[in-house]
Amino acid sequence: MRNPLRSEAEAFRFLVVVVVGAALIVAASYGNTWAGVAVAVLVFAALGRWLMR
Amino acid sequence: MSSYSHAAESLPHEGEHHGPPEPHYSSRIMPATLGMYLFIASEIMLFGSFFTAYFFVRVVNGTPWPTPPYHIPLFVATINTFILMTSSATMHWATQAIKRGNVWGMRAGLLLTFLMGSAFLISQIYEYMRAGFNTSNGAFATIFFCLTGLHGCHVFVGLTILLFMTIRAFRGHFSAEEHHGVEIGGIYWHFVDVMWIVVFTTVYIL
Repeated sequence: MRNPLRSEAEAFRFLVVVVVGAALIVAASYGNTWAGVAVAVLVFAALGRWLMR
Repeated sequence: MSSYSHAAESLPHEGEHHGPPEPHYSSRIMPATLGMYLFIASEIMLFGSFFTAYFFVRVVNGTPWPTPPYHIPLFVATINTFILMTSSATMHWATQAIKRGNVWGMRAGLLLTFLMGSAFLISQIYEYMRAGFNTSNGAFATIFFCLTGLHGCHVFVGLTILLFMTIRAFRGHFSAEEHHGVEIGGIYWHFVDVMWIVVFTTVYIL
């Protein structure tokens, strides 16, 4: 499992991933609230997969 | 004679450890890093409780967000977000610089990070003064100030850590081989920025 706070460089990478994920959720939710919810589920699943890799 | 020999036997032999037993250190993680992990874990739980309150106010109770006639100061918060993200980049630059032995790069990176963090905090205080509502103006205002204020407290703690890091950097305490203080402070600063992205997205945009 990947530790997002293992080092400063890893924490910075995690921040970039969170920024991209948040931007995707915001972009989807502007069109439709439920699209935002669906993208949020996908983003959290992808984030979980990235952390478990 | 016998009491003397008994006392001599009870004395520790040469090379034996005196006092309390030596602490056990994990071979995988440094104590300072473990301390920062536990601190960040407690912070995540604290933010979690505030986000639970936000969720109940906005989703379960269906409170309008923002509650009319109030407006969320989105413009200042967006500028602040760019400032904070840039400060994370300079923090990363500082750490990478000292890893390569570039002391002045680290000093410049830490100083810029500190200045941008201060700018964030000052403009947030300015935003509070111009918001037009306060904590007594309903659930929306309470949650708004609690979440952004809690994050502001974390920025203040991060700035205090950064101040000490910068002072130590200018005193020559860090080198390419010895820079754990910069590494740990950087982890905390990035954590504060991750929390701001979550707060900014949920409170200001969505």
